[in-house]
Amino acid sequence: MFRKLLIANRGEVAVRVARACRELGIAPVGVASAADLGAGWLERMDEVVCLGPAAARSSYLRREAVLQAALQTRCAAVHPGWGFLAEDPAFASLCQQHGVTFVGPDAGLMERMGRKAPAKAAMRAAGVAVIPGSEGVLDSASEATAGAAEVGFPVILKADAGGGGRGMRRVDRAADLERRFAEATAEAEAAFGSGALYLEKYLEGGRHIEVQLLCDGHGHAIHLGERDCSIQRNHQKLLEESPSPALDRDRAAELGASAARAAGSLGYLGAGTIEFLRSEEGALYFMEMNTRLQVEHPVSELVSGVDIVVEQLRVAANEALAPRTLAARRSGHAIECRINAEDPDRGFRPSPGRLTAFDLPTDGGPGTVRVDTHLAAGEQVSPHYDSLIAKVIAHAPTRAAAIETMERALAAARIEGVATTIPLHRAVLASEAFRAGEYDTRAIPGFRATAGAPAEARG
Amino acid sequence: MARVPLAEIGRPRDAFLDQQSYERNLEHMRGLEQTLEERRAQVAQGWGEKYLERVHQKGKLSARERIDRLKDPGSRVFEVLTFVNHGRVFGKLECPGAGVVCAWVRVHDRWTMVIANDNTVASGSWWPQTPEKIQRAQQMALRLRLPVIYLVDCSGLFLPEQSRSFPGRTGAGHIFKKNSELSAAGVPQIAGVFGDCIAGGGYMPIISDRVYMTEQAYMVIAGAALIKGAKSLHLSSLDIGGPEVHVHQSACADVRVPDDETALERIRDEVAKLPGSGADFYRHGVAAAEPARPAKELCGLFPKDHRMTYEIEEVLARLVDRSQFWELLPDRGREMFTGVGRVGGLYVGFVANRQGIVADPEHHSAKKPAGILYREGIAKISSFSRACESDGIPIVWLQDISGFDIGVEAERQGLLGYGSNLIYTNSTNATPMFTVLLRKASGAGYYAMAGLPYEPVVQLSTTVARQSVMEGRTLAIAAYNTKLDDDFEVLATDPKERAEVEAGMREVEARIEGDMSPYQSASQMDTDELVGFGELRPWLVALAEMAYQATGHRRIKNPRIWSLHDTEALSEPRG
Repeated sequence: MFRKLLIANRGEVAVRVARACRELGIAPVGVASAADLGAGWLERMDEVVCLGPAAARSSYLRREAVLQAALQTRCAAVHPGWGFLAEDPAFASLCQQHGVTFVGPDAGLMERMGRKAPAKAAMRAAGVAVIPGSEGVLDSASEATAGAAEVGFPVILKADAGGGGRGMRRVDRAADLERRFAEATAEAEAAFGSGALYLEKYLEGGRHIEVQLLCDGHGHAIHLGERDCSIQRNHQKLLEESPSPALDRDRAAELGASAARAAGSLGYLGAGTIEFLRSEEGALYFMEMNTRLQVEHPVSELVSGVDIVVEQLRVAANEALAPRTLAARRSGHAIECRINAEDPDRGFRPSPGRLTAFDLPTDGGPGTVRVDTHLAAGEQVSPHYDSLIAKVIAHAPTRAAAIETMERALAAARIEGVATTIPLHRAVLASEAFRAGEYDTRAIPGFRATAGAPAEARG
Repeated sequence: MARVPLAEIGRPRDAFLDQQSYERNLEHMRGLEQTLEERRAQVAQGWGEKYLERVHQKGKLSARERIDRLKDPGSRVFEVLTFVNHGRVFGKLECPGAGVVCAWVRVHDRWTMVIANDNTVASGSWWPQTPEKIQRAQQMALRLRLPVIYLVDCSGLFLPEQSRSFPGRTGAGHIFKKNSELSAAGVPQIAGVFGDCIAGGGYMPIISDRVYMTEQAYMVIAGAALIKGAKSLHLSSLDIGGPEVHVHQSACADVRVPDDETALERIRDEVAKLPGSGADFYRHGVAAAEPARPAKELCGLFPKDHRMTYEIEEVLARLVDRSQFWELLPDRGREMFTGVGRVGGLYVGFVANRQGIVADPEHHSAKKPAGILYREGIAKISSFSRACESDGIPIVWLQDISGFDIGVEAERQGLLGYGSNLIYTNSTNATPMFTVLLRKASGAGYYAMAGLPYEPVVQLSTTVARQSVMEGRTLAIAAYNTKLDDDFEVLATDPKERAEVEAGMREVEARIEGDMSPYQSASQMDTDELVGFGELRPWLVALAEMAYQATGHRRIKNPRIWSLHDTEALSEPRG
């Protein structure tokens, strides 16, 4: 096992990875921007290297600086967390070139799965259903027209190298296709340096269901069940649960097994997630693969009893997955609420500031509660980065009991000094639609504003 | 640290080149590259549709159709020596590609050199320079120990021009010596005989390790036309030397097959029995990746005027995987740019000329023009070249060089000696070297940077490459030296005499410019192939794979123990 590991991230995930390091006797080394120096979460690290000024592009996103930090502190490995450099093949390849193990898949595979067309092709080859559409990128608008005729309108054009909605166009009728194709090509070219587009049938609403995977270099590729992440706002996941109330157990088992087979056939290594879209008709289609740890991984940890980050580190050191991980069975139901320092009453405007009170009790029952956070009372919520301040995860034998546990935990929570999304979560938990398990990505149940977000989200 | 510390080089294009200049460059270059495409298409037509039909009527395929069936589906064929004899006329006849197609072709994931007689050009006969073209292709394969596949369909020498292709040192018979050398070096050779193989054509397949004959094929020292009494006996060439004779009686061939298609399928099977490529092993667990800066932008980086500069780092950033590069000796001999990058996942050393103005190490705070070989730069590339040789790293030479420094100081420093050292190094290197003439390839600079006379495995020229001893203007000055003053201005004051001198100088300049055309160079075999800038990266990826395909014949050190680390260690500043 590694002796020393650099955590190339900040905040909650840095703390989460540091905890797994301690578990395995690895000394965690932290990095921080100048704005984060002195933050409480850095005390979990054995050493800290300052990367540069507050702006992420001058600090956490600087590949050379992060690599240099790992080299000068003699770290054997780098854990990228999520966001920042977690899905940057150039960073992964630099690490590899300099002998620092990148905790994640090989740069080549990451790159392949990061581009939509090859990812879809790989999944199709592995026998996973993909959203009907073009096979690979389109050469021309006329090819798009032919493709659209085949799958039927509405369709969506997406940038092959894209993300974040850029280079994306919904097209409702054939007459608009040529114009939209030109627009999307230009936008993708400007944003990603590649104008390559592909076409898919546009699926409205639906549910975002993803499978947590773990693969090692010894022939094991397993899944830890699915998560339902359909409660979203502007592509941002708010609340996740496992198992999904939208799938019967046979269907869920089948989905998990097919995702694990696909990951195995790709030669995937480490923790990853395959995201599916469940259409209103009930069909499940591959959306994308996330080649990293995800924010909502604790949901799967609680239902499976597996420490995903510990397993990630073991796989990175080329050990096999632990026997008890391979034998893991899932039990009960888990729900995660992401608590952000945002004001739901003011259009979710970020609400940074000093936490005058910060208490998230875990002993309210009836199930168990886990809180993942990097903050404590008296500390500052930084205005520079992502507004996640804590994740509250409840686990109980049944979904109803898990909801009850979460409701009690949130009711007892006391966070002062910043506005939070707790009221939103409480409204969702109290809503009929959520309790019945009937919701999709278009609207937040129990919440007045509709999100209108397509079923693709970061997380 | 014995790591290969690649770091990102290059910037987004708009950070160093404005859109307008980029588009202007692009437009100019695209025009030139379109001409290249058109001329390639012309060569590929051979003698045209009529002759292609004639081939088809016989139930045969053309040379290019054969190659198309032979290659791995979807793979790219890299043709070499396409323009040999381009623009030359023999009697009234032209011979596109000298009547033979030579190409790197991927078969079952292995690179092979395919030499295919173009049966749409005078029944695949051999013209002046055809033997030389075949031998050059054989030599490329020999250097890299890659299998050679002969697709033979050749009616022998084109006899009206026999005096230019038969008796000399590189006359047709030298092909068979090359066959022998390849065999002696352990290079697998496979021949498919598809039709007429008369005289020289008959000898060509025999040394190959496996010989396939179609039912239409015959191999003869002399055809029926020269056999006394053949007419009255109704003997055809097929009777004299067809598969019935050579497969079953003479043992000059191994297997008979019904047709072209079957022969090509069987040849593919044979290649599959050979050892696979070592390339993936030598990637050391790293997959090939595209450059972070798009390779297609290369086309727009080069200014229309060859005297204008560009940044060599930006060129390299668009050639190497992920735009990651390890520059060696960055502070010495700044006019030269040396280092290592991965190309298609494989390590390749690069030597390139920096353009513009660089610091002069001999004179404190002085500057001097780059694109020229000075003492320190020569020493730098010579030691880099030798280190790559020691490590078994293939070297790509990217030339844009005006020549050696000249003048009192240059001679005093002994540039003749430094240059000769470099020439000795390159002449005795065994590691595969590939040369690319980006723009200027002038004077002894062309020689010192592994130009064709130094036998790189392959030399590529772009459409703006200029090979010359000196530029036209310089030669005009030299030729009219007695009529010029110290500043190379015309001495004469008489207007008539002035005009004469100026006109004479212009004429010299124009003729030299014409001779520098890359098509002329390719026609004369002064370069191996013309390529567009956009093709450069795929070419280098293929060449890198070829360089690492055959194992066991050359030194390939693992990167831990490269001599380049010594170079690096000794160039680090102290303390």
